[in-house]
Amino acid sequence: MRGYYDFEQMNNIENNTGSVADAMEELERHKKEVTDSIEYAFLIQAALLPPNQQLERYLDEHFVLYLPRDIVSGDFYWLYPMDQWIYIAVADCTGHGVPGALMSILGISFLNEIMSKREFIKPNRILNLMREKVMKALHQTGARNESQDGMDIGLIALNRSTNELQYAGANNFLHYIRKGEIKQMKGDRMPIGISGIEEVSFSNHLITMHKGDIVYLFSDGFADQFGGKKGKKYKYRQFQSLLHSNSKRPMREQKELLLNEFLNWKGSYDQVDDILVMGLKI
Amino acid sequence: MKLISFRIHNYRSIIDSGWNDLSPDNITGIIGQNESGKTSILEALNSFYTGTVSEDILRGDMSLPVVSCCFEIDPGLAGKVLDEKELPPGVLKQIKSSRELCLTRIWDEDLGSRIKIGGQKMSALFDKHEKLNSEYQKKLHKKVDACLEKKDKAVQLYAEAEKDRKMLVQDIDRFRLLIAEEQKESKLKKGKDADKASLARLSKMEKDLAQSTGTLTRKKKELQLLKKEAEELTRNYKIAESSRQATIRLDTAIDVLESTYKELRDLQRIFNSIKYEIDRRGVKPELDKLNEKYVKALQEYDLANEDAIIKLNLAYKVAEGMTLTAAEREVESEKPHIDKYYSREEAGTAIFEHIPEFVLFEDFSSLLPNKIDLEDILGANREVEGMRAARNFLKLSGLTPSFFVEGSSRLLKQKIERLNRSITVDFQDFWRQQIGKRNKISISFEMEHYSQSHPEKSGYPYLEFWIKDRHERLYPKQRSRGVRWFLSFYLELKAAALSEHGKGMVLLIDEPGLSLHARAQEDVLKVFDYIKDRMQVIYSTHSPHLIDSKKIYRLLAVQREIEDKDSSETKIFNAKSLTAASADTLSPIYTLIGARLSEQQYIRQKNNVILEDISTYYYLSTILSLIELEKEVYLLPSSHISNVETLVNLLLGWGIDFIVLTGGNAKGLEIHNDLKQNLCRGDRKLEKKYLINMESFLSVEDFFSTLDFKKYVLHQRVGIPESNSIFLKDNRYSRAVLASNFMNEVQDNNMKFEDFDDETKENFMWLFRKLENILY
Repeated sequence: MRGYYDFEQMNNIENNTGSVADAMEELERHKKEVTDSIEYAFLIQAALLPPNQQLERYLDEHFVLYLPRDIVSGDFYWLYPMDQWIYIAVADCTGHGVPGALMSILGISFLNEIMSKREFIKPNRILNLMREKVMKALHQTGARNESQDGMDIGLIALNRSTNELQYAGANNFLHYIRKGEIKQMKGDRMPIGISGIEEVSFSNHLITMHKGDIVYLFSDGFADQFGGKKGKKYKYRQFQSLLHSNSKRPMREQKELLLNEFLNWKGSYDQVDDILVMGLKI
Repeated sequence: MKLISFRIHNYRSIIDSGWNDLSPDNITGIIGQNESGKTSILEALNSFYTGTVSEDILRGDMSLPVVSCCFEIDPGLAGKVLDEKELPPGVLKQIKSSRELCLTRIWDEDLGSRIKIGGQKMSALFDKHEKLNSEYQKKLHKKVDACLEKKDKAVQLYAEAEKDRKMLVQDIDRFRLLIAEEQKESKLKKGKDADKASLARLSKMEKDLAQSTGTLTRKKKELQLLKKEAEELTRNYKIAESSRQATIRLDTAIDVLESTYKELRDLQRIFNSIKYEIDRRGVKPELDKLNEKYVKALQEYDLANEDAIIKLNLAYKVAEGMTLTAAEREVESEKPHIDKYYSREEAGTAIFEHIPEFVLFEDFSSLLPNKIDLEDILGANREVEGMRAARNFLKLSGLTPSFFVEGSSRLLKQKIERLNRSITVDFQDFWRQQIGKRNKISISFEMEHYSQSHPEKSGYPYLEFWIKDRHERLYPKQRSRGVRWFLSFYLELKAAALSEHGKGMVLLIDEPGLSLHARAQEDVLKVFDYIKDRMQVIYSTHSPHLIDSKKIYRLLAVQREIEDKDSSETKIFNAKSLTAASADTLSPIYTLIGARLSEQQYIRQKNNVILEDISTYYYLSTILSLIELEKEVYLLPSSHISNVETLVNLLLGWGIDFIVLTGGNAKGLEIHNDLKQNLCRGDRKLEKKYLINMESFLSVEDFFSTLDFKKYVLHQRVGIPESNSIFLKDNRYSRAVLASNFMNEVQDNNMKFEDFDDETKENFMWLFRKLENILY
C-alpha cells in the first residue's frame, strides 16, 4: 500500500520534542487522520458501486461477495442497464488500497462514459475502448519505465428477453453452471492497459443462457489467498470446485458459504488482496 | 413570397414544359440555341403576371395557354390574405405543410384570362368542396323544381277540367236549344208519323241532356277539388315560383354581364392600341360609358345572385314542409346568400395581389434610346424603342404627365437638371462599386420640341438622352453597349425599387448584355449576385460568360425536341437532367469549362464518386483494390472539400453522372446539406441518387477500428479513445502522408481485406453497400 507520509513533519516533531512518547502520540494522531481520510474515501467509492436496490431491480437471484483488503478496494463491480440489455462488469485494478481505488474510479468513469451514447456496444468493443482510455490517461506508449497500471476485467452483456449473453474478458474468466456441470469461458490474456504485446482486439463470446444457469464473475483475490494448514494459496482449481459444490444452494446461502470458506482458509493469515465474487442465476 | 417553380402549357413552341424549379439562390439562367424557346419562357412568365398575350403566341392547333407558378408562402401570410371568407377544409393545413402555393393563369378564346389556385392537391381540395356545394345546390333545385312541376300539373289539370266543364255547359245549352226547337216543330206538324219521329228524337235529346247534366254535376264536384288543390299548391309554392323568377333574373344578369365585359374588353384593347393621346381622347367617352354599364351589370348580378340564393333556400325549406315564416327565420340565421367559401378563382386572385412583381427587361424596350417622343412614353407605346427605359427615367424623376403638358418650362428644366445630377451620382456609385469601373460617367436628358422640319410632329415634345464622360457628350447608342446596358439596367432596378411594396420582384431578362464583350458579360453576373438578395433574376443567354461554372445548378437548358426543326416542341432540362440535353444546347457550358470530359477514360459516364480530398481517395482506392465490388466505381478526389461543389458543377456541365461522398464532420455535412438544397432541392429520391454522407464517421480514417488504425496507419502504441480523425487533427498529423504510406504499405505487403479486424471490415462494408445501392 502506497500512501502519503509527511516524513519532514515527523522529523520535526522528534527534533522539537525530543520525546519518543510525544512522537508516538503524534504518529497515532497522524495515523488516525490518514485512516479517517481513507474511510471517507471508502464512502465515496461505495457510493460509486451499484446500490443494492439497483442490483435487486435488474438481477434475479444473485450475490456479491465484496471484501476489500484495506478500507478501500482495487476491485469493483459495475452494472449498466440499457433497454433489454444489462451490462455487468467485475474488475480487478492493479494494486489495492488507495492506488487500486483510484484506478477503480477511473475504470467506473470510463465504463459510464463509453455507455453514455446509450446504444448497444459489444463487450469486446467496450474493452477495446477502455484500453484506449486507460492508455491515454496514463500516457502509456509501450516505452520503458512508464506506468504499467491497468485492470483485469470480466464484462458481460445479458439480454433479459432472450437470455443471450455476450462476454469479453481481460485476464479474466467467466464460469457458469449448467445442469450441474461447471463450464468456463476464457477471456483474452491481456489487460486493460499497456502490456508487453501489441494491442489486438478483445474477443467477444456469445452464449445463450438457459433458465437456472448460474454465472460467476470474480477477481483473483480468493484463489490467491494464503491459508489452510500449510499456508498455501487456495488456488483457482479449488475455488472452481467450491463454486461447483455450492451451486445447488440458494444464491444468498452461496455467499455465506463462500465467506465462511474464505475465513476458514485464511485463518490467522493476512488477507493478501481484495476479493470480489459475483454470482447471478438466470 | 418567392417564385420557386413554373409550368407552361401551349405557349409558342412550348406544349407542356413540366414543372421546373428555379435556382434556390435566386439566379436562374436559361441556356439554349437561337429559336429554342428561351424567350418564350420569359414571355410566358411575364404573361402570367400581366395577363396579356398576343395572338401570335397561340399554337397552330389554337390550344389555349396556361401558365402556372408556384410560390413559397408563409402560412401566416396565406391566413391573413385569405381572411375575408372561409377556405375549403384542408387548404390551410396543406399550405402549412408544404409552405407553397401555386397559381395558374388560364386564358380563354377571347384571350381574356383568370387566375386560379393551382397545384394538384390544392385544386383537388377546392374542387371537392365546390363539387359538394354544387351537389347541394342541385339538390335544392331538384326539390324546388319538383314542387313547381306538381303545382304546374295541378293548375294544368284544373284548367283542363274547367275547359271540360265549359264544354259540358255548352253541350247542355245546345241540347236544351235543340229540344226547344224540336218541340216547336212537332207542334207545327201535328201528323201522327211526324209525331212519332219527333217524339223519338225528343226522347233521345232529353236523354242526352240528362246525361250531360249528370256529367256536369260530377265535373263540377271534380273541378272544385282540382281548383282547391291548384289554389293550395299555388299558394304554398308561391315562393318556389318566386325562386324560379329569381333564377331567370340571374341568368339574364349573367348574360348582360358577360356581353358587357366582352364589349368593354374589346374597346379597352382598341383604346390601349391607340398610339396618340389625342386619338385616345376620342374613344374615352365611349369607354367610360361602357365602364359604367359594366359596373351596373355587376351590381345587378350581385343583387340577382343574392335574391336567387335566398329564394331557392326558402323554397326548399317550404317544400320540405316548413312554413314560410319559419323558413324565413331559418334562412336569415343561416345566411346562405353570403358566399362563405373562397372559390379557386377568388382565392387565386387574392393571393395574386401579394406575389412578387414580374418585370421583363429586354433590350429593345429597356435600353435607353437616343431620343423618344413624350407621347410614346406617356402612352407606353411598346412599339417604340427604349420606351420602358424612358419610362423608368420619368418614374425616377417623379415627373407626372400633367407636368409635361401644363408645367412651366423653366421649372421643368430646373427639375430635369437636378434629376440628372442625382441619377449621375447614384449611377457613378453603382458603376464603381458593382462593376468596378473608375471612369466618370454622367447622364443627362433634355426635353425638346419638334421643329418645322418634321411637319407631322411639329411642336410635339420629345426627350433626348446623353451620356457624358470627361471628353465628350454622346448619345447612348454612340456609347459602348456595356455602358448603355448597365445604365439602363440600373434605371430598371431603381424604378423597381420605387414601385416595390415589399412583395419582392422577379426580374425576367432576355439575353442580358447581348453582344457585350466577355468582360462586360461577366460584370452582368456580378450585378446579378449583387441584387439576388433583393430580387429573383431569371435570364436567358447563350453566352458562356453569363454562366458561373461553380453554379451550374442555376441553369435550365432549352432545346427543340427535334433540334433542327423550329416547329417542333420546346423541351426544358434542369440541372439534374442536363445529361439528356444535346451537346449544342450545352455548348455554352462546354465553352466555359472545357472539352467534353466524358470522352476520356479517367472519368466515366456513370458511377463516378466525388471524394472530398486526396486522403479519402488513397484510403478508399486502396481498400477497394482489396475487395471486389460487383459494380464498377470511379473515384474522383477533390483537391479539398471546399472544391467538391465545383467538381459537382463541372460534372453537371459535362453531363456526367456522379455520387458525392462527404464526411460526417461539420464541413462535410455543410457541403452535403448545400447539395441537398441546391442540387436535389429537397427531393429525397435525388438525395439518395446523388449523395452519401459518412454519418458517424467523421472522416475516412474513422472507418478503421482504433486498433487497425494504430497498426496499419499510425504505427504507434498510443491510447486513442477519441475518433481516429480527431486524434490526427489534435496531434497535427499529415493525413495525406499517412494515407499515402498506407496505400504503399498495403501494396508492398500484399495485404488482404481479411487482415483487418471485424470492426474495420464492417465499417468499410457499410460504406460499400451504400455505394452499391446507387451504382449502376
